[in-house]
Amino acid sequence: MASFTERMVPVLVLWLAVCLAETWAVDRGNFKTCDQSAFCKRQRALKPGESPYRALLETMELTNTRLTLQLINDNNKVRLLLELYRLQGNITRVKINELKPLKPRYEVPDVLIREPPTEPLSLLSQDENGVVLSLGSESQRVIISARPFRLDIMEGSDVLMSLNSRGLLTFEHLRMRKDTFSYKVTSTVASVWDNIKRVFSSQADPEAEKKEEADPANQAETTKEEEEKVEDGMWEETFKSHSDSKPNGPSAISLDFSLPGVEHVYGIPEHADTLRLKTTENGDPYRLYNLDVFQYELYNPMALYGAVPVMLAHNTQRTTGIFWLNAAETWVDISSNTAGKTVFGKMLDYVQGSSETPQTDVRWISESGIIDVFLMLGPTPKDVFSQYASLTGTQSFPPLASLGYHQCRWNYNDQEDVQSVDAGFDEHDIPYDFIWLDIEHTDGKRYFTWDPHKFATPKEMLQGLMDKKRKLVAIVDPHIKVDSNYKIHNEIRSKGFYIKNKDGGDYEGWCWPGSASYPDFFRADMRAWWASMFAYDQYEGSMENMYTWNDMNEPSVFNGPEVTMHKDTVHGAWEHRDVHNLYGFYVQMATAEGLIQRSGGIERPFVLTRAFFAGSQRYGAVWTGDNAAEWDHLKISIPMCLSLGLVGISFCGADVGGFFKSPSTELLVRWYQTGAYQPFFRAHAHLDTPRREPWLFGPENTALIREAVRQRYTLLPYWYQQFYHAHRTGEPIMRPLIQLFRKGRHVLKLSVPLMFFNSAAGRDLLVHPVTEEGARGVTAYLPGKDTVWFDIHTFQKHNGAQNLYIPVTMSSIPVFQRGGSIIPRKVRVRRSSTCMEHDPYTLYVALNLQRTAEGELYIDDGHTFNYEKKEFIHRRLSFAKNILSSVNLAPDAQFTTRSWIERVVILGASKPSKVTLQTADGQDSQLEFDFDASMSVLTLRKPGMNAGADWTVMLQRLLNLYKHLS
Amino acid sequence: MRHVTACFRKRKHGEFKCLSRSFKQVLAGFYETGRREFTVLDSDMRFQVIVAAVFWSGFVESRKVRGISSSYKRFYKERKSFLCIDGSKIIPFEQVNDDYCDCEDGSDEPGTSACPRGRFYCTNLGFRPHYIPSSRVNDGICDCCDASDEYNSPAHCQNTCWNLGQKERAYVEGQMRTLDEGLRLKQQLIEEGVLLWREKQAQLRELQQVAEDLQIKLEEHRRRKHEAERLKEQTLKALEAGDSGKGRILMRSCCNPYSITVDEVKTKVVLVHDEERLLSEDEALGLLGGGHQIDLTKFRRTLWDVLTRGDSVKVRSISLHFQHPPRCFFAAEWEATNLKKVEEAYETVNMEISDLRKKLAIDYGTDWEFLFLNSQCYKLKVYEYIYTLCPFNQVTQKNTAGTEVSLGTWGMWAGTPKNQYSQMVYENGEPCWQGGSRTTTVTLTCGTETALRSVKEPSKCQYIMDFQTPVACQPVLKQRGIHSEL
Repeated sequence: MASFTERMVPVLVLWLAVCLAETWAVDRGNFKTCDQSAFCKRQRALKPGESPYRALLETMELTNTRLTLQLINDNNKVRLLLELYRLQGNITRVKINELKPLKPRYEVPDVLIREPPTEPLSLLSQDENGVVLSLGSESQRVIISARPFRLDIMEGSDVLMSLNSRGLLTFEHLRMRKDTFSYKVTSTVASVWDNIKRVFSSQADPEAEKKEEADPANQAETTKEEEEKVEDGMWEETFKSHSDSKPNGPSAISLDFSLPGVEHVYGIPEHADTLRLKTTENGDPYRLYNLDVFQYELYNPMALYGAVPVMLAHNTQRTTGIFWLNAAETWVDISSNTAGKTVFGKMLDYVQGSSETPQTDVRWISESGIIDVFLMLGPTPKDVFSQYASLTGTQSFPPLASLGYHQCRWNYNDQEDVQSVDAGFDEHDIPYDFIWLDIEHTDGKRYFTWDPHKFATPKEMLQGLMDKKRKLVAIVDPHIKVDSNYKIHNEIRSKGFYIKNKDGGDYEGWCWPGSASYPDFFRADMRAWWASMFAYDQYEGSMENMYTWNDMNEPSVFNGPEVTMHKDTVHGAWEHRDVHNLYGFYVQMATAEGLIQRSGGIERPFVLTRAFFAGSQRYGAVWTGDNAAEWDHLKISIPMCLSLGLVGISFCGADVGGFFKSPSTELLVRWYQTGAYQPFFRAHAHLDTPRREPWLFGPENTALIREAVRQRYTLLPYWYQQFYHAHRTGEPIMRPLIQLFRKGRHVLKLSVPLMFFNSAAGRDLLVHPVTEEGARGVTAYLPGKDTVWFDIHTFQKHNGAQNLYIPVTMSSIPVFQRGGSIIPRKVRVRRSSTCMEHDPYTLYVALNLQRTAEGELYIDDGHTFNYEKKEFIHRRLSFAKNILSSVNLAPDAQFTTRSWIERVVILGASKPSKVTLQTADGQDSQLEFDFDASMSVLTLRKPGMNAGADWTVMLQRLLNLYKHLS
Repeated sequence: MRHVTACFRKRKHGEFKCLSRSFKQVLAGFYETGRREFTVLDSDMRFQVIVAAVFWSGFVESRKVRGISSSYKRFYKERKSFLCIDGSKIIPFEQVNDDYCDCEDGSDEPGTSACPRGRFYCTNLGFRPHYIPSSRVNDGICDCCDASDEYNSPAHCQNTCWNLGQKERAYVEGQMRTLDEGLRLKQQLIEEGVLLWREKQAQLRELQQVAEDLQIKLEEHRRRKHEAERLKEQTLKALEAGDSGKGRILMRSCCNPYSITVDEVKTKVVLVHDEERLLSEDEALGLLGGGHQIDLTKFRRTLWDVLTRGDSVKVRSISLHFQHPPRCFFAAEWEATNLKKVEEAYETVNMEISDLRKKLAIDYGTDWEFLFLNSQCYKLKVYEYIYTLCPFNQVTQKNTAGTEVSLGTWGMWAGTPKNQYSQMVYENGEPCWQGGSRTTTVTLTCGTETALRSVKEPSKCQYIMDFQTPVACQPVLKQRGIHSEL
């Protein structure tokens, strides 16, 4: 009820500043370009050429699974240590660090799920120019060239990937600042000490003597080093009014990768850009630096809320991946030798056969840390997903309810408001599972508390939702109000858990509550404490149907540089600079852990995060942040979530309707239709926008939205099964066409725009939502020459490998089921997914040209970790030779369900004379059926068997009967 | 149009009767009935309880098919086959309520959750019956108060119809009392409104009379001013021509009626040694020779010399000479001032008239029943804010610091076409952060006293108020209530 101004006084100034600067676009001036980021500018100034690095082959040590080798920079004589591992599952890991850093350099912990298991390496040959190693049993080799240093990975006669082939490896070694008094004192003392050591050590420490000898460059190193010039921005940097003291000086690292035969690369989210990454020669590199970007712009390489430093390279023969494990600010340059060519030029090359091999070159630049890169060598997309999953884990298996529809708004004002919105869904017969509370539900932006007037009895409210089998999400952000009357703040402060500023005091920034401090989530003890705050007796008013949303965890600091934390703040031994991109990852990790712990380890958590990093998939869902109610934002939600899926984060969605601004009714309806087919399906709206609950736009639009949401609910069994699959394999749920049909040259070669606007859930549904205003038709590419596709609404059959024009109306959501697949649905859509738990299944069997189909059915309790204890049903459904059968895929698993099979719909069928069901006990029974000859759809009426049982359904055709008779 | 043939066995004669009905008709019939049922459900149904109870007792013993109301019983007569109510399909009667959806319209599964568009009839004996979507049958949530929707579910539903019915009846009774009282008060307010209306009309007429008078006066003054100006011009011309004799005559004729008053002396004449001080009444009287006013000629003869000699007093303003230029110049100015005064008075009255007219032009309801709200204000404190609604004028919000924000000024009635007086809109309040301005929608509900009941801000800058007043009580509501009790 308060006016915005009065409630938001603290943030007002900032917002005002931002708003005045530009109305509906990001204020670019708030964020750095590469030129404004000293290390990026410095590194990018280096041009490809002769690398100063040389491999010292004589230092090579090879154990069974590990190769080490020193590299030397001939310009400054600083030595690096290269480590190379062959990891299980066709992954090669390359680590480069300083041989003797002045102090340790940050190596990212906790992102890898374990120390990756290695495989033996063997030396194939060696001479003064280089070394050849065999990578396991396959015909893969690593060639290390000595001068200049370069690393090539070959398979047969093909080069898969080359490192430092363009000579852009750089490693800014840690150094003492020379223009300071302390440096002079230290260096004098050091040399005196060296002399003393030398005198006394000849007898006392022969080892040390040896080391000195083995290191003849030591002397030269010192002299050379002094000649290195000090550039601007090496020891301090200023951006706008913020100065960054850099006590450790320059520490950037960089390495280039060449990908022969590769035209297109994907990944490195989060960017509001096309799925296929663009070359960056004429602009800034893609930036990875978690930032709270106000009103982000589309189609550019600016950093957004999350960062996953994983890039996939794909061509018709092979898919590979590069995982650059570094949490500091990172920039990625991409260039391609075919980038400038037109489609016509490419076709000409193709026809004439005179094309030079396409190649994409990539260069990674990070501000600090070490080079730790995992080369995932495929060869199939599926292999790369499983390789990446073996390193960072798979998508967490969410509670089934979280795959339903989520209703959010900044803010539902009070309990009465929540209750009336909840009732609105029932009144208009629209299902939903979660209602969300944004920051206004708290007592003055003090998380873990409730506004004493507006949410006076939260448990009553939660119980009301629970009675309808629905749930709630309350926001918990990581900025903590500095207020000595606030328990959470007092405890964090007294335990010393806050991030420190460079002078050792608790860092304070400005965020929603006004002055706020930021817990140091990099500390395991802090995370454990945070997790304990979610216990039911700690978090007052919480109940088991209440889950959590972590926003602003980049972290967002309104008055910080680039709206985030100062890089020279301190996390124990490390600077924020080293760890920045990991902050959000840890916040979500600790929160999810809290939700698990509060249930005694029984219940699966649900936590939504805005900031993320590699590995965040293990902790919950992400969304694409503060988008806007514009058609282009609707469109971009597809490539943004596709990109995230490619790098492991499948549980992705965008604010349905758009966060900023108010959508037109048409846009809102189209967004519901699109969101219904994206993994995380939540409507959200800004505080200043008018209400937009689904029933506020007239009965016609209510009906359209209801229908979209209902489609989502009928497909929940399939979504759930897809998440189970993703959880098991690391494969994405929403997939671009490139992955589905990797041999579809047509799609790849011309990279039709379809690829960016098309999405597919799993591999069996192809979704082409309408994302154009006033659209009367869409053209969808249906891939696969020998594939057929069935419109899931009309059952119309279409052949693959064609651009299909589909006329559309406002109710159209073009979705196709692949011939050859079986999809289970629950068509009795109820108030919430939990209400549908025991409902029967309808199986949609879509036959391919061979008249076969396969699918799965996965069932468990939907919310606990008991599936890990083998309490689930997992069945393979297959149709071949007119027999549909269900066989157990997990004979050792135990689970019983009340659900049964109420209907089987076979698409592309012919009319049988008789249909017989055979159950496990050997009983035969005749099934009634209905055949629609115009669409070739056979519907089996009420077979009735339990969904967890073995059974077989036989279709007998007239022809077969005759055969039997004769 | 598709025609279907529906066959019913007529129980009385034991024969088949085939009806050929247009598909659309059947459908229309079905949905019509449905809509009526739903409408009833949506509208204020509290008065139907007794009706339902009466109906219930009539058909309860013959009910066999789950989930249907008595009016639908005729479609579900036990026979060999069942015709979907939309006429689209004939199925064996065993397939009614067998938990599989055969009919497009869901009519074969009134008692299960099998059909996506089906509905289940909660009989709710003791309370009011209503339909729920089929999807709420056996979903583990008690929807019907008689628990009939959860006949095969783990939910342990209690029959709460009697309690609900009691509460409902109590509530209805309360509402009825409120309504009665409200309507009584409303009648008073209507009467008051009519009186007020008349009063205002009288006031208007009065003002109009005043305006007319002023109009006449105004013309008179205009004429006088014109005359004075004409004289002034003539005098000027005469003076310029040096014809002093003529001038004197003119002067006399134009100035004779005038005299000097005490007030004029007080303002125009000051003491030489103390220019700041105004002359006191006594001093001015002294100058005028004891009288309150003095004939101008006399004044010139007696006092002027004293003044012009200027030993102790002097004339303050040169622009207002007493002697030269001739006195008729003042007359012109005098007339101008007078005219202005009358003009101002005229304007004020006209403004009052237009204000009153504007007020009277507002729609105060068919019987001017809302008129009494004009010039009233109602306050409500919600959390840290005090809201003030001044009907037909404005809405404001005041915070604890005392800052007042306009949430809109009177816009219009915005109720339903049936009852447009159920909602008011106040618009163009203080501008909002992201564009637009604050608006308030006030919903009027029936109550025994006039008061602001609640204020909410569902979206930023869009306020909704619940305003209770007897004049919002609708006799229609009462009639409907009585009607359904019959």
